Amino acid sequence: MVDRAMQHTARGSHDAERAACDGTSASTRLLRPALVEGPIDVEQLRREIGSDAAGAVVVFVGTTRRATGGAITDRLEYEAHRPLALVCLARLQDQAVRQFSLVGCGVIHRLGLVEVGEESVAIGVASAHRKDAFAAVAWLMDQIKASVPIWKRDHLADGVARWVHGEERPA
Amino acid sequence: MNATHLTILLFAGVAELAGQRELSLAWPGGTVADLRSLLRQQLPAAEALLARCAIAVGERYCLDDEQVPPEADVAVIPPVSGG
Repeated sequence: MVDRAMQHTARGSHDAERAACDGTSASTRLLRPALVEGPIDVEQLRREIGSDAAGAVVVFVGTTRRATGGAITDRLEYEAHRPLALVCLARLQDQAVRQFSLVGCGVIHRLGLVEVGEESVAIGVASAHRKDAFAAVAWLMDQIKASVPIWKRDHLADGVARWVHGEERPA
Repeated sequence: MNATHLTILLFAGVAELAGQRELSLAWPGGTVADLRSLLRQQLPAAEALLARCAIAVGERYCLDDEQVPPEADVAVIPPVSGG
């Protein structure tokens, strides 16, 4: 698990650099995306994206579902192309900040085994008004599901495990 | 022709079907389409899934007519299922 305190310190200069490059406000709390092996600290994410500039903070949490159609899931297992996934997530966060005028944005995705009921992904956004925050979370989740190189393996109650792949090429 | 080698990272269902997470190929140079053709020959068990995979070179997904330089970081990206 990443040392969150160290990561937070590193974010300060990173955010300032990024703000200088792309015109986002220096006060925008644009967190580095994280891929973590253990439980996601949703409350910490919420705290880190919040600020005086925010009138709305929306945190979406994706959790592991027991039943999908007729299949019963025991647990999910996630893997990623880590460097590429982190680059893709950072690009999506950058775009979301600009497109939805966000003042805070962070994405954390879990890797490894995730039991039923546990969080697999958390997306937190902050904006001046709620409509932008709701829209940004929905957009980010759709983009993550379409393009970020992360995969889930469904471990079923009957002992079978299968990788979940849709029909579409990632683009 | 001097062929260099490409190391190609495999993930999820492709890695499972291939029985390996990395593949090393002699690579004389060529396009993503050429690489796809080579992958189909090397990994016949994964042929159907390979058709639905993207090819990433470095930090982005590439189109079939783009060149894959020698020594590039290449990955086969099956349809994703995060979230």
